[in-house]
Parts: sequence; C-alpha cells; structure tokens
Amino acid sequence: MKHTNTRTDAVPAYMLGAFSAAGVNATELLFAIHTDMAIDGDFSDTYVGVDKNNLYILYGEEKVVKIEGARRIVSQYEARRLVTHPLKGLRGLSTHTMLSTCRLINDPTKKDEEEDEKNGEDKSKGSSGKETLILLFSLGCQGFVDRLLKVIRNINKGEEPLKEIKEMDELFCPVCGTRYPEPERKLCPKCTDKMSIFMRLMGFFKYYKGKVAMVGLTMLAVTVLQVLAPYVSTRLLIDEVLTPPPVYYHGYDVHWLAQLLGVDSLYRLVGTVVLIIIAMRIVITLFNMLFQYVLALTMPWMIYDLQMRIFEAMQRLSVSFYTSKRTGALMNRVSRDARNIYWFFIDGFPFIVINVIMFAGIFGVMLWMNWQLALICITIIPFTAFMFRLLRKIFGRIWHKQWTINSQMNNMVSDAVNGQRVIKAFAREGEETRRFTEMGGKHAAVDVSGANLAFTAFPLIYLFMFLGQAVVTAIGSMMVIEGTLSLGTLLTFLMYLGMLYGPLEFLSTVSNWWARCVDSAQRVFEVIDAKAEIEEPANPIMLNELKGEIVLDDVWFQYDPATPVLKGMTLTVPAGKTLGIVGKTGAGKSTMANLIARLYDVTEGSIKVDNTDVRHMSLKQLRSSIGIVSQDIYLFMGSIIDNIRYARPDATIEEVIWAAKMASAHDFITALPDAYETRVGAGGQDLSGGEKQRLSIARTIIQNPKILILDEATAAMDTETEGKIQNALNQLQSGRTTIAIAHRLSTLKDAENLAVIKDGAVVETGTHESLMRKKGEYHKLYSIQMEGLKVISME
Amino acid sequence: MSTVDTNLDLGILDIKDVDFYTAEGGFMGVKCKGEDYKHVILRRIMPIEHPLAYISVADHENKEIGILRDVTALSEAQRALVEGELNNRYYSPTVMDVISVQDKLGYVYMEMKLQNKQGRIYDKSCAIKDVSRNIRTLGDKTVLIFDVDGNRYTAQIANLSKQSLKKLDAYLF
Repeated sequence: MKHTNTRTDAVPAYMLGAFSAAGVNATELLFAIHTDMAIDGDFSDTYVGVDKNNLYILYGEEKVVKIEGARRIVSQYEARRLVTHPLKGLRGLSTHTMLSTCRLINDPTKKDEEEDEKNGEDKSKGSSGKETLILLFSLGCQGFVDRLLKVIRNINKGEEPLKEIKEMDELFCPVCGTRYPEPERKLCPKCTDKMSIFMRLMGFFKYYKGKVAMVGLTMLAVTVLQVLAPYVSTRLLIDEVLTPPPVYYHGYDVHWLAQLLGVDSLYRLVGTVVLIIIAMRIVITLFNMLFQYVLALTMPWMIYDLQMRIFEAMQRLSVSFYTSKRTGALMNRVSRDARNIYWFFIDGFPFIVINVIMFAGIFGVMLWMNWQLALICITIIPFTAFMFRLLRKIFGRIWHKQWTINSQMNNMVSDAVNGQRVIKAFAREGEETRRFTEMGGKHAAVDVSGANLAFTAFPLIYLFMFLGQAVVTAIGSMMVIEGTLSLGTLLTFLMYLGMLYGPLEFLSTVSNWWARCVDSAQRVFEVIDAKAEIEEPANPIMLNELKGEIVLDDVWFQYDPATPVLKGMTLTVPAGKTLGIVGKTGAGKSTMANLIARLYDVTEGSIKVDNTDVRHMSLKQLRSSIGIVSQDIYLFMGSIIDNIRYARPDATIEEVIWAAKMASAHDFITALPDAYETRVGAGGQDLSGGEKQRLSIARTIIQNPKILILDEATAAMDTETEGKIQNALNQLQSGRTTIAIAHRLSTLKDAENLAVIKDGAVVETGTHESLMRKKGEYHKLYSIQMEGLKVISME
Repeated sequence: MSTVDTNLDLGILDIKDVDFYTAEGGFMGVKCKGEDYKHVILRRIMPIEHPLAYISVADHENKEIGILRDVTALSEAQRALVEGELNNRYYSPTVMDVISVQDKLGYVYMEMKLQNKQGRIYDKSCAIKDVSRNIRTLGDKTVLIFDVDGNRYTAQIANLSKQSLKKLDAYLF
C-alpha cells in the first residue's frame, strides 16, 4: 500500500529542513512531532518523524540567530544526533508514565496491542526484560506521542497512516500567542478583556429594558441637576443678585434675572433663587430615591437569573468538572460571587455612571466659566488618577487573596463538619482548631494589609488634593483682586473643585468594587462557559427496545493526562446475564462502570450497548436504562418517598412500597415516626449506612433499568446488613444485565461469568470453578481472601 | 501514647549489596543479593523532604526489592546513576524567577525562568488551571506548580526574589 501524506498538519514545515540536513528524506515523512527532552533527561528540541519504514529521532536545539545580511533574526536548528529505528522492529511500543515525564518503550517480544487482544494475551504483565528505551519526554508532549504511536500502528497494520488521527489542536491564540488553557474551547483569557466581561454581565439586564431605561433617565436628571446646583446657589446668587451695585436697587432698571423670574423686588428675587435651590435639592433627592427604588426592584431578579444560569450550567457539566473543583469554591460561585455582583450593581455601578457624567459636566462648566483656572485644576487630576489606578491594581490582588482564603476556610469548615466523628475519634479537636486558627490568622493578615494600605494611601492622596485646592484658591484670589475674576465665580470654582475631587475619590473606592465584581463575574462565566465533556450527540440514536448487551472494545481511559486507568479493556456481557468484576483496588473497576453510564467518555476504543456506541446514543435513554448502586449513597433533602421516587417521580405510592419491600427497606421505614414521609438528607433523620443503601436500591428498583451496575454495593456493610441487602440485590438482578463489582469474592461466586481486572485490563474470564481450576490471578485473590477469613475466625 | 513496633524488617538495602548499572535497552538495572534485576524502578518515599534518602527500589512488576536509605552514601559512580534515574522520573525544573503572573478568566498565566537539573536556564510560560489545587505550598519552604499539560515545577521560597514572591503571593496558601 502506498502511503501518502495528505494533511498539512502531519509534518510541521519547520522540521523539514532539519530532517533533510540530517540525511532523512523529508518528503517521505508521514508524520512528525516535536518533543522536549533527550534520553538522558537533558533539555532538547527533539523532532520525531516517521516514514513508511523508519522512525527518526533527531536531537538538537532550536536557536534564534542573526544571519549576516538578513533583515530579521531567524530560528535555526542545530542538530546533535539522529537515531533511526526500523518500524518492523517497533511492534511493541508503549508509553510509561513516570511522574512528570513519560518514556516511550519498545518491547520486541510484544506484538501490537490489537494483536495481543486477539490472542487473549495479557498486556499488563510488565517487562520481558528485552525492552528498549526509545524516547523520553515531558507530560506536555504525551498527546503528540499518542498520535505518533497510532500512526506507527496504522503503518504496521498496512492501513492509511493518518486514519483516525485527530488534527493537532491549535494550542495557541493567533492574536497574542497565549497558550489556550483548554484547546477545544479556543478561548484566550488574555484577549478577553475585563470590559467585555462587564458588558456581558450587562447583557443580563436585557429582560429589564424598561426599568433600566427609567433608572438611566433619572440618573441623568439627578446628575444634571447636581452639576447646576452650585452655579445657581453660588455664582448666580452672589454675582448676579447680591454683588453691588445691583442695578435693580434704584428701581430704574430691571434685573435680567428678575425679569426672567417675574419678580419685582430684591427680596423676592433672593427668596425665589433660594426656593429654586431648595426645589432642585428636593427634585435631586426624589429622583435619587426613585432610581434606587427601581434598581432595587430589578437587581434581585437579575441576580436570580445569574444564579439560575450558574446552577443550570453546573447540572449540565460533566462529572469531571466537579472532581476538578473544590466544593467550597463552587459554593462561593453560586452565592458569594453572585452577591458581589449584586452589591456592585446596587451600590457601585449607578454611582460610577453618575460620577463620570458629573465629572465631565463639572469640568465643562469650569472651562466655560474660566478656562485658565480650569486648566490649573486639570493639572492635578492626572497624578490623582494615576494613584487611584495603582491602588485599584493592588486592591484587586488583595481581594483575590481574600477570596482564595475564604474558599479555603469554607473547605475547612466543611471538612470539620463532615469529618467530626473522625476528628473526635482521633482526639484531634485541638489540631483542627489550630489549623483553622492559622488560616483565620492568614485571613486577618490579608485584611490588615488591605486596611493598612487604605489608611495610609488615601490620606496622602487627600493631602495632595487639598494642596491643589490651596493653589487654585491663591491664584483665583489674585485674579479677583486684579478684577479678572468675580468673587462668585471663584467661590463657584472652589465648590466645583471640591465636587470634581468627589467623583475621583468615589471612583477610587469603587475601583476595588469594580475589580471585585469583574473578578466574581470572571469566575461565574467560567462555570457558565465551561464546556460539558459529555454532550448529547447531534442525532442521538434511540433504541426501540433496549435489551442490555454490553460490549467493551479496546477501551482506554485516563482521568489525568498520561495516566491511563483502563488500558485496552475488552469484555462482553450478554443481555440479561450477570458478570462479576473482580480486582484489586485501583484496578479500574469503578471507572469501567462510570464509562458504561457515560459519566466520562473513553479515551480510545468504544463501549457499545446493543451494538450501538454509547457516544451515539441518546444520553437520556442510556442513563435511564442504567441503574447504579454504589457504596457512595446520596440522599437528597426531602422525604423518603421523594428519594425513592427520584428516578421516576410519577411512581405511585403502591409502587414505592413495593420497591421498598423488594429492597428490604419497608420494615425500617415504617418503624420511623413519620414513616415514608420522614425527612432525610441534610438536616433530616439520621439513617445508618445499610438503611441508606436499601433506600438507594429501592430507588433503582423504581427506575426499573435494563442494565444494573452494582459497584461495591455492600462493601461497607456488616455481615447481617450485607445479607439483607444481598437478598434485595438478588431480587433486583433478575432479568437484567448486571455488572457486579465487588471486593469480597464470596459475594460474586454465583455470578454466571467473572472477569478479573488487573492494571486496567481484563486478565482472566470464566466461572468461579473454571478460574479456580486455572490457578491464575483469580485463584490467587480468592486464596488470599480465604486465608484472611481463616485468620479472623481463628482469632 | 504508644508507638508502633519499628523492629520490623523494612527491607533497607545495605549499599554493599547493591550494584546499579545501565542495562541493555537504556534502563537501570541492579544486582542485589545474587539477583540481577534488569529493569528497576526508583521512587522517592519522601520526595520533598528527603529527595536523596529513602528510595524505594522495585522490579519491573512493581515488587519492592528494598529501600535505599541514603543515596549520598553510594559511591560517586553509583550515586550519579541513581540520581540521573531519579531526575528523569521526578523531572521538575526549578523556578529561579517569576517574571509575570496574570490571572485571566480563572486561569493563571505564568512566565518563569527555570533551571533544569543539568543547570540549563531557560524561560517558560505556562497556563495553570484551578490554582487552589495546582499551586501548592509544602510547609513554608517549597511551592509546587502544575500546568495544564501536567508538567510540574518546583520553587524554593527562600531562593525566590522579593519581586517573584510578591507576584506569587496571592496564590501561596
């Protein structure tokens, strides 16, 4: 078969020259990757390429050099060594993860993974002693090496080399070159500015346009009136009414203002102006009250929308999201972050708008009144603005730190509450208190540093502002003496200057608020934007009648990069039959159950139910067809009947009682004071582990799934409770495809078929008797357990 | 409070009984008490506090052969072999300097000056997700940083400059 390289991303162009210079026919290369270490652990720009016959490893270093005569500096590759491995000798390639590095190893005694499976060979047996170390690289390169391995396997099998090779994800933002934290999201955090986050937050107001418009208009009116107020109360009153000689005094001329207001005496004029001042104040107060009232009506609903979006997003997200976030941090996102945003919009944002408009308005009026004096005032502003900006940055850090410590304190409280029995059992109350006190101390230290900064920085800024005001007073006074400025104008100016500093001062305090609000919004959007790893397929397949046959075909899976938990697991469970899964802790048993229910997706291979890949099936049908009974039992806040009905809310009371009886739960439920209406979950009736387990079995019986997964369902039970639950489970299993995972092999002895899992792969299958006869892994595990039981009974 | 019985056989290896070598294929092998293990795995039992003490030596099936109490007690050649193997497994460049730290949309971007075990100094920028988990302080001395690719970096707080510490400060808990 002739192999062709049809994809441009298969061999990066910058490697071609380096390979050619090292004597490799680069045009024949089918695939190439860039790794980062030499075999001895030293740093290296290692190019690894493959053609139809060989694997080439080129060690060297990329250097940026200035070539004489060239206009720009260029990247040049300095090759050190080329190692060539013929592909026919590389039939047993595999990667071994160490801590933060990986090794690519070839074991010539092993064939390709696929061939192993066909022959039923054990891939996890480890080294044959004839292994060769091919490549060493850091974990970051694991994804590339995985693709390379797939290409080599394809070539060795005579298939199209790039068959099923995913395109290399674009890892870097094309605008700023920043590494995408999640390449599949293509969201560059650096190019997403805070203003856009804020504008997105503003988008939540779209449902309240009328109220927002009302708030906006009243705010504008308030601001305009506030800007005009000093002019009327000072400049107009002093210069136009009170300053002699008032032409109106002698009665032969009419003052323009009196004419305008329609009054005929000075006293009436003064009274009218004062009344105007009072009226303006009243209108400002009323408008202030009005917009805050409307805002207070709107904001709780906007926050409600936001919290709903976060909560909805959390329901949509995959299990992996929850395993990567601490509960305290998630709870903070729903409650504290949303509250931060709420208070900013209630107490911060409206006043930002008012103050910004006021600042512009005041400055405009000052320029109009006396531009020379206005320009003197403006020289003080840049320094003040710079200081405020600096403070905003520092305060942003302090807020972030406080948030982090708060999350950790929440986690500690949660630990202390949930682990109270363990704490008391080990008499560690003092130590726990000490830990919390230590964290509290850190919290206090952060608060103190924030307060210290505020108490020293702000007075210094105010002092500077005062000095500015003194300079304006001095210059203005001289202008009054010289007659180039009226007294009223100077007093109005000084009043405006005070008002000009006001918005600046406010913006300085609100800048912390703004930083905190955007910080919170950033975290909130992180949850809302997080992409669910498990999604409903575009055209989900709905099976007419689900029978329940399960096939795992060469399933590979890893929770963390380069740490495979399942390594090519292959097994079949016929519909309606029971398969017992046996293996040590950490062998991958529960992972397999999670994959069948599609709580995670396989990394490689496939899981099929009734010959349909679970990734193509309707998630709802799949999950409603699978019942999982595990040792992690969660009862939701509510009554017992609500909890049993959780899987099927329309179940009748008779069905619930029947399910409870089947699960051997009815007797203990009726013995409770409120029987089926007993409240359980957080703050409810305290139930024992066995009782909770029986409720969870009743819940699964109500669900009536076609496939049942029993994941160590009785692991934490005493023998008597286990006996009761085992009966319930036996009832549950009849007629369903069952995968029973258990530590205690005695509970699985009667299973129709057993599979032994070791290091993420199936190593033995058969009935209890056949496996005992085989004297392999199962026999070993069974013997160890029986020996253990003998020791216990002797004691 | 009673203590546990420490007179158990912990499998501490006598350095006179062990002979490490580079086996065919590039792996580390060891000859120990008449046995020749061609591919051994070395693991630090206390990787932070005692990187060169209490090293678990296991065969390729992860069965522990014994524990090396002190690598520094080995001969120079043996020590170089063992340290080289440990460095490969525990590849974690040292953070010499934190050039910049930026928090964007829940991810922290860090530019650092790193030094690998061979002494080479180079710049690296990385993205860190979920900082409360992936920037960890161990006691008051060490900071471990894990990036989105799974790479790890180690910083000794005492060796960092004041500026670097200031940049990291918000994440050190």
